[in-house]
Amino acid sequence: MVDWLVIQFHTQLGFSIVLLLVVIPAVLTGVGYSTYFERKVSAWLQDRHGPNRAGPLGLLQPVADGVKFLLKEDFMPAGADRPLYILAPMLSMGIAMLGLAVIPWGGSYQPAGLAEPLQVQVAGLDIGLLYLLAVGALGVYGVVLAGWSSNNKYAFYGGLRAAAQMVSYEIPLGLSILVIVLASGQLRLENIVEQQTALWWGFLPQWNIFLHPVSFIIMFTCVLAETNRAPFDLAECEQELVGGFHTEYNAMKWAMFFLGEYTHMIVGSAFMVCLFFGGWHVPGLAAEQTTLWGVLLQLAVMGAKISIFIFVFMWIRWTLPRFRFDQLMRLCWKGLLPVSLALALVVVVELFFNVPRSYWSLIGEVGVVAVALVAVSLFRIPVTGRQWYLPDLDNRTPLRGGSV
Amino acid sequence: MNWSTTTIAIYGLTALGAVAVYLLLPRAGRSARVAGTLLGLAALAGLVVLSLRSFAIPGSEDFYFYLLAVLALTSAAGVITQRKAVYSALYFVLTVVAVAGLVVLLEAEFLAAALIIIYGGAILVTYLFVIMLAQQEGQPLYDRRVRGGWWACVAGFLLTATVASALSDFLLLAPVVAPPMTVEVANTDRLGLVVMTRYMVVLQAAGILLLLALVGAVAIVRKRYPHLETVERPLPAIGQAGREAAPF
Repeated sequence: MVDWLVIQFHTQLGFSIVLLLVVIPAVLTGVGYSTYFERKVSAWLQDRHGPNRAGPLGLLQPVADGVKFLLKEDFMPAGADRPLYILAPMLSMGIAMLGLAVIPWGGSYQPAGLAEPLQVQVAGLDIGLLYLLAVGALGVYGVVLAGWSSNNKYAFYGGLRAAAQMVSYEIPLGLSILVIVLASGQLRLENIVEQQTALWWGFLPQWNIFLHPVSFIIMFTCVLAETNRAPFDLAECEQELVGGFHTEYNAMKWAMFFLGEYTHMIVGSAFMVCLFFGGWHVPGLAAEQTTLWGVLLQLAVMGAKISIFIFVFMWIRWTLPRFRFDQLMRLCWKGLLPVSLALALVVVVELFFNVPRSYWSLIGEVGVVAVALVAVSLFRIPVTGRQWYLPDLDNRTPLRGGSV
Repeated sequence: MNWSTTTIAIYGLTALGAVAVYLLLPRAGRSARVAGTLLGLAALAGLVVLSLRSFAIPGSEDFYFYLLAVLALTSAAGVITQRKAVYSALYFVLTVVAVAGLVVLLEAEFLAAALIIIYGGAILVTYLFVIMLAQQEGQPLYDRRVRGGWWACVAGFLLTATVASALSDFLLLAPVVAPPMTVEVANTDRLGLVVMTRYMVVLQAAGILLLLALVGAVAIVRKRYPHLETVERPLPAIGQAGREAAPF
């Protein structure tokens, strides 16, 4: 029996199943502790202590929260659309978790006496990158349906805002990913990671961040918007919409939205780490490690990189004020979209001259930003802020017997 | 014309499906939903049995094919038989996902991903957005009932039955065998090669068409304010654009 299990473990399918059984609990635990971390980070940024009552340093706080969520009364607002009201949190969390399948967590593992190395990845798809994009594109339905089915005006506006925001930010996100796809010529995430493991001058890892910093900034901004994180959390802004799309949710259904949001953050961070920061690549080591300890080290490095990203997400959330909705739209359509289009064009030119992934990439990216800055300041293009060049439009319709 | 039993079966089952859809359509009074559902399930089961008996293609993906095909057909019927437009849009999403699954079975992963990203992610979210904006307060009467449902069912029956029987004749004559993969080129690469060489002109034409549609959309939504266009405003100083209102 044990022998049989060992043999099954050394096939890719068995290994993937074991990995799945490890990854899902690990991510869910990570999600639980992200909520703890979020509260601690916000406390540090605001000179407070944060949760410190449940267990040492408040470390049992997520457990206490989980118990509370499960034991709370679970009610449903009158007039809610019952099936969709229940479906929405499930979609929110389920779709976010689908993305975990294609993330290359730790390179490949070569046990002794096995011809083919095992990929430390649940499913190595040919189109892993597009799969992640597709799953991300479906992620908006949870929020939109929650807004619609709650039968609440505030929730409804939250859902509408989420729909408009996610459809808009999907475009620059796709274009900035396209830059990496074109430059590396790959749609498999593990190949993109492998490409970044070489070194320049013997010490600098060939991570894409050094070649395409501007694309990274655009992608980071769009991931913030896609995961509904501040300063793009207009779908749930407390000052205007009570709680936004989750106003009418409580207990475990409410918690599932946040499990979904934090899972989405982890998947998004892993995606960015793979595309721009060399995935599991350990900066000091040149080649891939395929021994057990090497793979564990790479898993740890991947986890550390993801954690840094999640910390930056939280840092931003507790530092920057929220956008106004028209600023959000203008930033996307007039700021990020033209720049990311120009970046994709520059990469195509590099491909034409056969110099992708060289110092020309950096020159191109910086050049596009320089041109954009000059254009914005010379022609006074409003990327955010007011549309000052429009005349004052008075769109108000006079009421009967009144005047505008 | 040679009426084989297969053709007759296809016509009969499609007619059954058409009747089922007609019964399911939302009407002013009560719809015969139970009878419609039963008839529809019978038609689907008949189609599955027929295709299993007549065109059984050996392969492990058969089960998934039937699962996804039935899912696509039922959710497509759901799109037109739901009273609430939001549910119709959601069934449309389910149809798109099921069709993407069928495309994956044909080993065209890129197409499947593109289908989900473009239809599932962008177009249907926009539909949902519009439906939600337009129907905040219940639905008017004319949105809750079908008009011309009878003719629509007959037309749909004729179209589906003729296309299906023509395809079935073709399948009976020459069983389709998937062409062997001769070249070890990834699916997406092959698609790119074909699109950028053989269908280059079509691609460019589609691009121009989309650009024209975009310009047209902007031209349609752009309002003109002739009495306001003459307003002259001083240009703000460089770096001061949008800062004319002090925050505090």
